[in-house]
Amino acid sequence: MSVENNRNVGQQDYYMVDIEDYPESNWDQFKQVVKRTFSTELFVGLWVVLREMLKFNIHTVKYPEEKLPLGPRYRAIHEMLRLMESGTERCIGCGLCEKICISDCIRMETKIDENSRKEVSEYSINFGRCIFCGYCAEVCPELAIVHGGRYENVSEQRAHYSMFDDLLTPMDTFKAGQQKEFPGFGAIIPGSDESVKKTPLAY
Amino acid sequence: MSKQINFTIDGRSVECQSGESILDVARREGFYIPTMCYLAKATPNASCRMCVVEVEGVDGLVLSCNTPAIEGASITTESDILYKERQNIMKLYNVNHPLQCGVCDKSGECDLQNKTTEFDLAEQTFATQEQKRKKKKWGVLSYDPYLCIMCEKCTSVCNEVVGSEALYIKPGGYKSVIDNHFGDCIQCGECISVCPVGAMASSDFKYNSNAWELQKVPSACAHCSSACNLEYEVKHSGIDSSGSSEIYRVTNEDDFDSLCGAGRFGYDYENRVAIKDEKAFNSAVEAFKNADTIKFNSMITNEEALILQRLKDKNGYRLVNEEARNYQNFMNSYSSVSGTSLYSGDLQAIKDSDYVITLGSSVSRDNPMIRFALATAVNINRANVAYLHPIEDYKLENLVTQFIRYEVGSEEGVMAMLLEAFASDEAKEEQKAFFSELDMGYISGESNVNEDEIKNLKSKMLRKKSPVIVIGADVMAHPSSSNIAKMVALLEKSSEFKVVIIPTNTNTLGVSMICDLDSEEGSSVVGYNVHAATTLCALGDGDLDMPALNQQEGTFTSIDKRVVPLNAALPHAGYELNDIAIALGVESEETINYTSELPTSKGFKSVEFDSLENYYTNGGEAIRGYLLDNKKIKTKKADEAISNITELEDYNGSVIYSVDHISQFNTFTNKTHQIIDKANLIGSEQFAMAAKIKGGQKVKFMFNGKEITRVFNLDSHLKGTVARHSTFDLHDSTSSGKYRYTKVQIQEEGN
Ligand code: SF4
Ligand code: SF4
Ligand code: SF4
Ligand code: SF4
Ligand code: SF4
Ligand code: FES
Repeated sequence: MSVENNRNVGQQDYYMVDIEDYPESNWDQFKQVVKRTFSTELFVGLWVVLREMLKFNIHTVKYPEEKLPLGPRYRAIHEMLRLMESGTERCIGCGLCEKICISDCIRMETKIDENSRKEVSEYSINFGRCIFCGYCAEVCPELAIVHGGRYENVSEQRAHYSMFDDLLTPMDTFKAGQQKEFPGFGAIIPGSDESVKKTPLAY
Repeated sequence: MSKQINFTIDGRSVECQSGESILDVARREGFYIPTMCYLAKATPNASCRMCVVEVEGVDGLVLSCNTPAIEGASITTESDILYKERQNIMKLYNVNHPLQCGVCDKSGECDLQNKTTEFDLAEQTFATQEQKRKKKKWGVLSYDPYLCIMCEKCTSVCNEVVGSEALYIKPGGYKSVIDNHFGDCIQCGECISVCPVGAMASSDFKYNSNAWELQKVPSACAHCSSACNLEYEVKHSGIDSSGSSEIYRVTNEDDFDSLCGAGRFGYDYENRVAIKDEKAFNSAVEAFKNADTIKFNSMITNEEALILQRLKDKNGYRLVNEEARNYQNFMNSYSSVSGTSLYSGDLQAIKDSDYVITLGSSVSRDNPMIRFALATAVNINRANVAYLHPIEDYKLENLVTQFIRYEVGSEEGVMAMLLEAFASDEAKEEQKAFFSELDMGYISGESNVNEDEIKNLKSKMLRKKSPVIVIGADVMAHPSSSNIAKMVALLEKSSEFKVVIIPTNTNTLGVSMICDLDSEEGSSVVGYNVHAATTLCALGDGDLDMPALNQQEGTFTSIDKRVVPLNAALPHAGYELNDIAIALGVESEETINYTSELPTSKGFKSVEFDSLENYYTNGGEAIRGYLLDNKKIKTKKADEAISNITELEDYNGSVIYSVDHISQFNTFTNKTHQIIDKANLIGSEQFAMAAKIKGGQKVKFMFNGKEITRVFNLDSHLKGTVARHSTFDLHDSTSSGKYRYTKVQIQEEGN
């Protein structure tokens, strides 16, 4: 597989599970029921539980003290990233995320600022409506809006909003070099650097 | 004369008239030829070379936009050579083009963007030393020279279609830019609409939204009787809008049609109401039950006019709308001689004309599309344009060949002079009584129009084929309007002249044909968009809020005698006229159910609203609604006779003329945020001297029975003793139906 097409950026230690064939005829089904009824399969399971308990090898995750690591493509609360070089917001106010959002939960306003540049004056996501489909992150031409890992977003009301500044990487986090390039859904694919064609900039 | 031509495009045989360009024929027939600089409504600039085609037997490539088709030619629009040629052109257009599609206002509908993709230019391999250029802001226009591809569409629209000659090219090879003689710019925004890239942009819209987010609502402009085709572009308002939306901009089919500044920038006049105000509604219904008169203006749809007429039929109301009644009377008198219910010309006739006379209208302000049509006539057909009016309009100086100034009030005499000059001998024989009594010397003296001026005017008629005369609002309200109407009809009947009688307000023509109007108000009046004891109003200052014309479905009857549909760009939460009608027992579920019931006896067709079409064909033909039937009217010999010219009332002293600014011409445009012209009184030195006032001073005078205070502005271009007085902010002036010239006593404010 060429590097461009390899979009699996996570760990790849998958293995096939060994599963018996499903019974196909009524006779097969009957045989299966009889076998299960009269064998001691049940006790196999109980034994595994007992054995693991005695070994104190407990698999239950003690949320919230303990949290599972998230896959890189996990889609939780959005983040707005800054440009690596200058620290300014990446979002250019193109409105594509607002347009593509299928649950219609992104709203933004743009205007011309005092330097005659386009400015995102307001931006909100209603997380009560968002279904975390990831379309916004995928459509964003600037890699500005991404899905972060914060999935704890209970609220007292069904509609609850985050504004631009809530989503934007805080300046101190950014300065500390803590802003992570987004690796998952909608991110650029590995090897993008090589496939970029340069535009001559004589101006 | 033009003759039929047959030739083939990509192997298919097509027909056209001689003189038509290959591109026009190809597009009409559905062939695609890419262009960057072509604008169907102007002469080809031939600057882009994208439109090249191959012609069998001709060496090299041919520009299809400015090459007429010839008999038997065989044209190829697509081949490898053409693709390469076009691709190379696109490469050049992209040299140094800023990489700012992400924020550019044009992105998503940009010709450069589209064709760069179409011709598969994934990379740019060369660049040149960039020149320092300056971004400019000219009022509603913002110009970014870095984005400009120098296609010259904006300059040709400004010169040819608008006739302003404001935009021009500041030459300098690669450094060339567009510049603006700002004093000549009428802020119509045509240049914005034709610009294929984001170079000429709207200052207000700049960075406010993106093309792909806006929903287009096709409709008709509600500001004057041209009822131009436009699209309201709508999106939800800001982030905390909870469902409400707003109009972000207005666009149009810029290749074939135009909009003036009022239509393009004066769109946010909607009447926002939060809920249905039941109390106000009930008292309005009560007021209707006790009233004997409904007073209204012509800023309503045909359907509303029909509702009013039905209310009259049922409850016997008097319908009072003096402005529309003047027009109705004028048309009736006109019909009594012409034998037709409608005038013969339209805007297209003016565009196609080579000889135009306008009488009694400040066309660039009363109906801007007439001005645009004049520009086309002048620039394409080298038309001779005579502007007959008491005040010269310097905004028309590029277009008017001959200005004939007449005295205020002498319209009847001037029309008689025209008739004398242009009517056929048979017509003169027919109306012998009138012509034998005509005393040209007297008329010339009274109107101050020299007989030589008319002779000169007539001499220009030589070899002209399609003359048009445009009759304006000054004449409708003239005391002798009925006689003038008959003269107009006689001129039409007895000469080559086509006639356009400008409907004074947006739907004056519709109202005048649908409503049976009364002259006298009764004792208890309800007003619709006109102040009365109880007022229904779309401006938000009446007793019951009505939807404005951008919140309504319905139809207008335009100057082109066409019934055109309008769609609601924004919702209206309150009541509408139909609700009142239902409460009064005139029942129909929706206002638009009346569309198919418009009176067929007057030329309307029984067509459902939903089957009215509104689009342009590839060839540029507007398929909008339907044309009214021009009905034959039986004329009575007795009604036909033109009476002798009545003696003139003289207009000495200070006279003011009710006329508005170029894009600011009614209470609705006055509500919009981009049209900011202030109401004032504008006069010449001479006027100021006679009235003993100075420029910049606040003055007061009586107008329509009310005292008005205005700032007086001196205008060095103006001459004579008639000042221009804006009335767009005076609620009821549009429907007053008064003669537009008023004698006034002007006093300084504070005395
Ligand atoms: S798609 Fe990206 S750049 Fe465009 S508005 Fe959304 S966040 Fe900003
Ligand atoms: S003018 Fe067109 S190509 Fe140029 S930046 Fe704007 S959208 Fe992009
Ligand atoms: S706004 Fe109209 S008049 Fe002004 S430059 Fe543009 S086209 Fe010309
Ligand atoms: S401003 Fe626009 S229309 Fe005018 S020359 Fe430049 S690209 Fe063409
Ligand atoms: S000419 Fe009249 S109808 Fe056309 S855009 Fe202007 S105001 Fe509207
Ligand atoms: S369209 Fe023919 S040269 Fe541009």
